[in-house]
Amino acid sequence: MKITYHWLKEYVDFRWPPEELAERLTMLGLEVEGVEKRGGEFEGIVVAQVLTRDKHPNADKLSLCRVNDGAGQRQIVCGAQNFKAGDKVPLILPGATLPARPGEAPFTIKVGRIRGVESHGMLCSPRELGLSEDAQGLLVLREDARVGQPFAEYLGRAGGDVLFDLEITPNRPDLNSLVGIAREIAALTGNPLKLPRLLIPPAAMRLPPIGDLVAVRVEDADLCPRYTARLVRGVTIGPSPDWLRARLEGIGLRSINNVVDVTNYVMMEIGQPLHAFDCARIAPATDGKPTVVVRRARDGERFVTLDGQEHVLSGDMLLIADERQGIAVAGVMGGQNSEIHDRTADVLIESAHFHPPSIRRTSKRLGLRTDASYRFERGSDIGITDWAGLRCAQLILETAGGQLAEGVVDAFPHPPPPREIVLRHARANAVLGVDIPDATQVELLQHLGLEVFPDPPDPSGGGAGMPGATRFRVPTFRVDLKREVDLIEEVERLYGLEKVPATFPRGAVGFNAFDAVHDQIAEARRLLAGLGLNEAQGQTLVSETAARLWGRAEPVRLANPLSADMSALRSSLLPGLLDTLRHNLTRQQEDVAVFELGRVFSPSEGSPREGWRLAIALTGRRHAPFWSGADRDARCDIYDMKGVLEEFFEHYGARGVGFVRETESPATLVESAVLRWGKTDLGWLGQLAPALARQHDLRAPVFLAELDFDLLLSRRNTARVSKLLPAFPAVRRDVAMFLPEAVTHEAVLRVVREARPANLETVALFDVFRGGNVPQGRKSVAYAFTYRHAERTLTDAEVNAAHEALVAVIGQTLGATVREG
Amino acid sequence: MSEFLNEIGPLTATALAELGAAGDLAALEQVKGRWLGAQGRFTGLMKQLGRLPKEEKPAAGKAMNEAKAALEAALAGRRGELELLASLPREPTDFTLPGRRRVMGRLHPLTQAAEDIVRSFRRIGFVVADGPEVEDDYHCFDALATPADHPARDTQDTFYLDTAPPRLLRTHTSSVQIRVMEKQPPPVRIIVPGRVYRRDNADATHNPTFHQIEGLYVDRGVTVGDLKGTVEFVFKAVLGGDVRIRFRPHYFSYTEPSYEIDFSSAATRALGKEWLEIAGCGMVHPQVFENVGYDPEEWTGWAFGFGIERIAMIRHGIRDIRLFYENDMRFLRQF
Repeated sequence: MKITYHWLKEYVDFRWPPEELAERLTMLGLEVEGVEKRGGEFEGIVVAQVLTRDKHPNADKLSLCRVNDGAGQRQIVCGAQNFKAGDKVPLILPGATLPARPGEAPFTIKVGRIRGVESHGMLCSPRELGLSEDAQGLLVLREDARVGQPFAEYLGRAGGDVLFDLEITPNRPDLNSLVGIAREIAALTGNPLKLPRLLIPPAAMRLPPIGDLVAVRVEDADLCPRYTARLVRGVTIGPSPDWLRARLEGIGLRSINNVVDVTNYVMMEIGQPLHAFDCARIAPATDGKPTVVVRRARDGERFVTLDGQEHVLSGDMLLIADERQGIAVAGVMGGQNSEIHDRTADVLIESAHFHPPSIRRTSKRLGLRTDASYRFERGSDIGITDWAGLRCAQLILETAGGQLAEGVVDAFPHPPPPREIVLRHARANAVLGVDIPDATQVELLQHLGLEVFPDPPDPSGGGAGMPGATRFRVPTFRVDLKREVDLIEEVERLYGLEKVPATFPRGAVGFNAFDAVHDQIAEARRLLAGLGLNEAQGQTLVSETAARLWGRAEPVRLANPLSADMSALRSSLLPGLLDTLRHNLTRQQEDVAVFELGRVFSPSEGSPREGWRLAIALTGRRHAPFWSGADRDARCDIYDMKGVLEEFFEHYGARGVGFVRETESPATLVESAVLRWGKTDLGWLGQLAPALARQHDLRAPVFLAELDFDLLLSRRNTARVSKLLPAFPAVRRDVAMFLPEAVTHEAVLRVVREARPANLETVALFDVFRGGNVPQGRKSVAYAFTYRHAERTLTDAEVNAAHEALVAVIGQTLGATVREG
Repeated sequence: MSEFLNEIGPLTATALAELGAAGDLAALEQVKGRWLGAQGRFTGLMKQLGRLPKEEKPAAGKAMNEAKAALEAALAGRRGELELLASLPREPTDFTLPGRRRVMGRLHPLTQAAEDIVRSFRRIGFVVADGPEVEDDYHCFDALATPADHPARDTQDTFYLDTAPPRLLRTHTSSVQIRVMEKQPPPVRIIVPGRVYRRDNADATHNPTFHQIEGLYVDRGVTVGDLKGTVEFVFKAVLGGDVRIRFRPHYFSYTEPSYEIDFSSAATRALGKEWLEIAGCGMVHPQVFENVGYDPEEWTGWAFGFGIERIAMIRHGIRDIRLFYENDMRFLRQF
């Protein structure tokens, strides 16, 4: 909603400058989103009155004056001779600029010394003001000029103004009008609201009663509870007068013609959308009277709105029609077939109230959002319908001439009873946490136009008659006030929240089962960051292709996506991580170690299933850059991924997760393993398939892992039992051997476990090597076996006996050749 | 006898000179062997001691012990010197060279902001709750007194899913208010961080996915004053003690009275604004309580919600919301 400062001032007095008005409105809940100063002619020039005129102490031809500028007195040095004390003259204030003359630079007035005496401004000649070439003396103004008045206003020219752009919340349709906003200011200041007086000169009302001239038939009073019509005959369509055009253009509306402009003006003034029909184009009924029919459209009925668009209507849309055809989509837009044109003589003014949800549906379905539909769908003031029609008629008579038919057609079959709300004053204080006296509460609400209604029509309704409660009658324009709490809000809004003391919550401490889960998720994030992984946050919305590629089932699709690459819910965190890799690698960030812990979605009966996942991606260098060392440029491989997972699992309490190689990797991976945890799969890890890597502009090998975080949460075990530290020394024996390629580390461990050598404490692999003197098809592996007894020091002999037996078993079982050394 | 005693002095002097002259630890060990080893000259002298006449033994023994102590002290001293020398690198260490970094990852700035917010709420008795991101119309709108024809729905363009029954992506974390109150009797004291979705094209201030945090407090005698106190506490904790907070009347269909919260700080002034909107809040509307079966006469409460991105952007001076979802390493590693 856009308003201008001077227009608003027509309806209520206030003394706030524009900046303060903006602040006050904001704190009333009308957020000011923009303030724009509009420069006018003669900025900073006001009407001033000369109080005294004396000779300048240091100059014969100059005079020293005291003038009143409306705000106070100031001293001015002046060289003109044609004025005397008591004259009213234009005064330009310091900081303001004289109108520029062609070819000259504009001149800005400053406080200056003239022959040793300060002058706070300058009294102006007609030439200085650019009004004429007369430079002989000051422009002496009419005696009735108001001191302090902007000079532009004195001349009747456009002065400067300020445009405010307000955000009006959807519950307050009454604020989509200047009068509505003025009402708020009136409530805050206690100053009266100044509504225009609707006086029609009798000379402009010489027509027969309207009932003899036109008729209205409302066929659907549910969708149209009230419809009023007024008739003005003999208008002259033409351009709007300057004041009207300036008002509308000042708030960004285009001026069309005098009659249409008046309807817009009144809508902005009071908030009631109006429509003007060319009465001659409304088909007469059999009795010869042009007749407006308010009915539902027929399914498939076609209608051309005044923007030239043809629409196909449906049976739940309300149509304004005559006996033959539609003439307007009710509350949304008029029709081409009945609009005002240059030769329109008779104007039928429609001012109505429509059922808000119906207007909203129609406007949405037709894709027509208008100033009218915007207001109707939020709820127009059913009490102002006729006033607005008459106000419109009054202004049409003023700007376009013509005669107003006597009276009004007012189809208002079921006026709703006035809404009444009981406010318990103690309840208000209890909700607000402050003590506002009952009388103050009543007074604040009365300022907003609520009336105290002492006699309860229904004593069983509770409240009224009760001590400490007041029954209020709600004015029709406040469609948002429905129950007690709404009045409590209004009391607080006018009272001022800054006067409510800030307190702390008391009483019960919160409880929710998720609280502990939140901590577990946070813990995992910190551990993963500690392992050198950066946390990423990917988009939830991904392309269907990506969702299908990384998910097991068909993805959950959006019904109304914004674009194809954001058309499905992620079924895996991988699409996001790959996007992250691509983003970084195409920006010369080649070393990326990231994880994401977030939700994924899969189809399910009823609502899609949501689950937490953890995904990790590694590519590029293993270490941070360093300037020496053989492995400083080492690249990540799959064992970096495995190592991260192993360390994380150990800290996080996921014991016994196995890494089982997949003999056939999925299409997305080249080498991969399943993370087997007991009988279930926790997730997988692997290397990204080259074709996919290329699609994502990834050239170096990329290692990925993803796991089911819900499963991890449900089965993690964080209990830790301390073991005694060994008291006796350990004995280490190393073995290097050639093993067939097919024999895995796990197979070696299994043989060792089954051999159960005495006193073996640990087995650690410390080297794997291929090439050199290692035979084809074999690998060289080296293990360190550590033996220890809990209660004594082992002898070499007993360790050797156990160790040699173990090596022999490994050799026989696995086809290993034990190497020297 | 005096011959023996006369020998000790010069021998000791020679030994001390050799120890002092040893240039490295190996040379020192050689000197030590030459004098104090099993075949050493000083050891040899010690052996002669036994053959001396009985009356000469005390004086000779004393002199020998003193000499031996002197040698050992000199040996230890020289060893210390040589060890120190040996441990010194050939060149002085350049401490301005970069260290070998053990790199830690960083938590996402949104996670960090959310955690800080959660921490300050927990200090005043709130716990974290959660709810689904895929919602139905009822929990996201209807139960929050925003029926389908309500103009307030205009401000929240919703993603609907291609599912039967129809589902949507929640447009705010307020849906969790309903989920929690349906499940649990009052009192309630929760905060809900989480992802929400709006059908907005991505630009510097919009991303279809973003994060909110919701707070809900329901108890007997909860007031607007409590809301004020809590919000002021939390925003001062999260945004710094110098912030000023103001409440501006506003409208949300599920709270009454409703407010928007603005704050003012050095950060807002750097953006050229005195006040910056940061959150919405209000007293839970009695209609919402009725919808979940709470008696609005017995229970009052308040709720609020705000965007986590907004907080992180203000804290770190981030100008574009899309940075959060690009995960550029150069961005992430700044936090």
